[in-house]
Amino acid sequence: MAFVNLQNVTYKYPLTKTPVLQNINLQINEGEFVAVIGPNGAGKSTLCYALAGFVPHFFKGEISGSIEVAGMESGKSTLDEWVLNVGLAFQNPFNQISGAKYTVFEEIAFGLENTGVPREEIRPRVENAMKLTDISSLADRSPYSLSGGQQQRVALTSILVMQPRLLVLDEPTSQMDPIGTREVFSVIRKMAEGGMTVVMVEHKMEWVANFADRVIALKDGQILLEGKPSEVLTSDLLAENGFGLSRYTSTAREAKKRGLWKKETLPVTLDEAVDGFIP
Amino acid sequence: MHERLSFYVKRDSAIHDLNPLTKVSLTLALILIAFTSPWYWTPHLLALAAIIPLSLLGRVAPEFFRTALRLILPAAGFLFLMQAFFQPLGEIVIFKFYFLDVTRESLMFAFRSSMRVLVMVSAFTLMLLTTHPSELMSDLTRRGLPGQFAYVIISTLQILPQMQAKAQTIISAQRSRGLDTESSFFKRAGSVVPLVGPLVFGSLAEVEERAIAIEARGFTSKKAKTSLHEIPDTRLDQLLRWALTLLVILSIALKLWLS
Repeated sequence: MAFVNLQNVTYKYPLTKTPVLQNINLQINEGEFVAVIGPNGAGKSTLCYALAGFVPHFFKGEISGSIEVAGMESGKSTLDEWVLNVGLAFQNPFNQISGAKYTVFEEIAFGLENTGVPREEIRPRVENAMKLTDISSLADRSPYSLSGGQQQRVALTSILVMQPRLLVLDEPTSQMDPIGTREVFSVIRKMAEGGMTVVMVEHKMEWVANFADRVIALKDGQILLEGKPSEVLTSDLLAENGFGLSRYTSTAREAKKRGLWKKETLPVTLDEAVDGFIP
Repeated sequence: MHERLSFYVKRDSAIHDLNPLTKVSLTLALILIAFTSPWYWTPHLLALAAIIPLSLLGRVAPEFFRTALRLILPAAGFLFLMQAFFQPLGEIVIFKFYFLDVTRESLMFAFRSSMRVLVMVSAFTLMLLTTHPSELMSDLTRRGLPGQFAYVIISTLQILPQMQAKAQTIISAQRSRGLDTESSFFKRAGSVVPLVGPLVFGSLAEVEERAIAIEARGFTSKKAKTSLHEIPDTRLDQLLRWALTLLVILSIALKLWLS
C-alpha cells in the first residue's frame, strides 16, 4: 500500500462556498520526491496543510474522503501525533521563527525539546541538521538578524531535525538565490534517497525537472495532470491552463511553431534546450 | 539592535551561575524585606550592603550603574519630591514652598519610600542583567509553569521589537506617498489611522502562520518537554533559597510582632 494515500478528498474552508480541494486521489510511495505545481488559488497550500494535518485539525471546515500517511488516518489522529510523522515548512520564513529562542541553534532544537527528545540526543542532531543545510556558521546568531534566505534555511532545518517520514514543503526556496536553491534541492533530494518522502510546492520549473520524481499539476482544486517531470512540464495542457512554464519550454514551443525546433520533445532545462534550436 | 533584545549581559560570574529560580527568590526576598522590615534604615542598608555588592559580584556593575543613573535614580528622586511635598505628616515645618509644607516626618517618609522603590527596581534590574530570559523560562517550565505561559512572555519580548520595526516600515512607506506625520497634533493623530490597519491585520495574519509553525514543531505535544541547556540547581542554590525564605518570614514576623 502506498505510503501516502488520499482518497476522494474534498475540502471547504469554514465560511466559504466552493471547495478548495475537489476529489483528490493521490498515492505516493515511500522515498518519492513529488513536486506540486499550479497557478495561484489552485489549492497547493491547502493540499500541503491537508497532508500535514492542519486541514482539518487546525483550520476546521468540511472535509470528506480519507487521508492516510504511514498507515495512520488523519481523521482518527490528533495533530500533535500527526506532526511526529509529517513535517511542514512553508513560504514566509519570518513567521516560522518561533520567537521563543534567542539563537539559531536553540531555534532548531525547539521542536526536539517539545517532543521530548533526551538532551544528549538534541545537540548532535541539531549539529548534523545544520551541517546538512550548511548553516553551522549561523548557530549563535539571533534568528531575527538573518536574511530571508537564511531564515528559510533555518525554518527548513528546524523541520528536518525532527526527522519526519513525510516532509511537506510549500515554496521553501522562494527567498533564496539560485545557489541557495540548488543547495536546498540537493539536500531534499538526498533526504528522499535516504527514504524520506517529500511533497514540495515549487514554481521554479527547471529545478523541479532536475530533481523531482513526479509532478502533480493542480488547477481549481483538482489534479489536472500527473507524471514524469519531462512529460508534465512540457505538456500542452499546462500551457493552455495558464501554468507558469519554464522559459526554455515556452521559447521552444514558439520556435517549434515556426519550425525552428528540431527535437521531438520540448525542453524544461537549459541543458535540454541548448542543442535543440535550429540556428 | 536585533542582537540585544533583553537586558541580559553574558558574563562569567557567581551570580550568573546561580539557578534562575534562586535569582528570582533573591529579587523577591530583597523587595519583601525592603517593604516589610520594621527597622527604618533597612532599605538604605539593603541598597548599600546588598544591591551594590551583588552588582560587583555579578560583574555587571557598569551596566547596572548606567541603568541606575539613567532610570532608577531619576524615578526615585521624583518619588522623593512628591512624597516630601504632599505627605500630610508631622508638625515641624522645615521648608515652605507656597502652600506646600515639607516637614521632618514627610522627609523621612519620602526618603524611605523612594529607597524602597530604588531597591525594588534595582533588584529586578540585577536579575534581568544576570539571567538569560529563555533559561529563566525553561527552568520555570520545568518546575511546572505552563509552557504556553512561558512562550507568551518570551515571544512577546522578541516580537515587540519586530513589530516596532514593521510599524516604522509602514510609516516610512506611507510618508513616501505623502502622509503627513509631522505637522499639528490633530493631523498627526489622524494620520495614525492608515498605519493601524496594515499593522494590526498584518499581525493577526502572522499569528495564524506562527501558530501553524510552532504546532508543526510539536508545541502542543503531550510528551514531557526536554531542554537543550542543562540548568544547574546545586545544593548551594537550594540552601540560598531556604535562607532567603527564612529571612523574609523573619522580617514579616518582626513587623507583625512589633505593630
